[in-house]
Amino acid sequence: MSDLKTLTFAFMDPPFESERTVTFFRLLDAALERGASVRVFAYEGAVALAFARQAPHGNAVHGRDAAEEDHPLTREWIRALQEKAAAKELGFEWINCGLCVDERGVNDVIDGCGRGGPPDLWRYASDAFNTLTIGTR
Amino acid sequence: MSDYLFIQSQDPFTEVRCAAQYQLARQLRDAGHRVHVLLVQNGVAPARLGARSEVFDALLGGGVTVSADGFSLKQREIEASDLKAEVTVGDVGDAVDALLAGSKVIWN
Repeated sequence: MSDLKTLTFAFMDPPFESERTVTFFRLLDAALERGASVRVFAYEGAVALAFARQAPHGNAVHGRDAAEEDHPLTREWIRALQEKAAAKELGFEWINCGLCVDERGVNDVIDGCGRGGPPDLWRYASDAFNTLTIGTR
Repeated sequence: MSDYLFIQSQDPFTEVRCAAQYQLARQLRDAGHRVHVLLVQNGVAPARLGARSEVFDALLGGGVTVSADGFSLKQREIEASDLKAEVTVGDVGDAVDALLAGSKVIWN
């Protein structure tokens, strides 16, 4: 039996478009809360979740500047999960599908997020205690 | 016998395939497996009292246990008291518990 406390998640939704993204991050947080290490294979639009140049913006309609709007950025959520995992001495690995990254030009990712391909998903799933794939409908 | 947990994000009012997803859950239950459905996002919609969905009500009557993610309910201003009697309030952490218990967890 492989590592009993590692869960693998495969995710393909881009940031800022679907409620699935929020649910996905909640699942990752819940896994860390329960003492499980996490491995993520991000593909298709999800490779932009870790894009380093995401920028917050204001909301002119509501008269709020960027600081007041406090726009959530997925790269910051990933960073927070990395820090949470480190504090709990758990693993948190993130691999983006390289082909998907190149298609979208989102090569500039935050530290701790790597580049790979479908064989990494196979490796992640093979090594994990369990795997959840969240597909786009 | 296996344990299945379906994370049900789709709802029967906007997704035709939802009926087949419910049916699969029931068929697995009928085949002797333990099956739980965790409603998330708009998947919580048919759980509301007064929501009319024959396929969802058939799921509730088919021996499958059903819970609704509290966060998704709160986002939609649905209170626990607004839910159909067979539906309990759950959390996405329940899906992680199932993963760690070795259940087959499937996203719909």
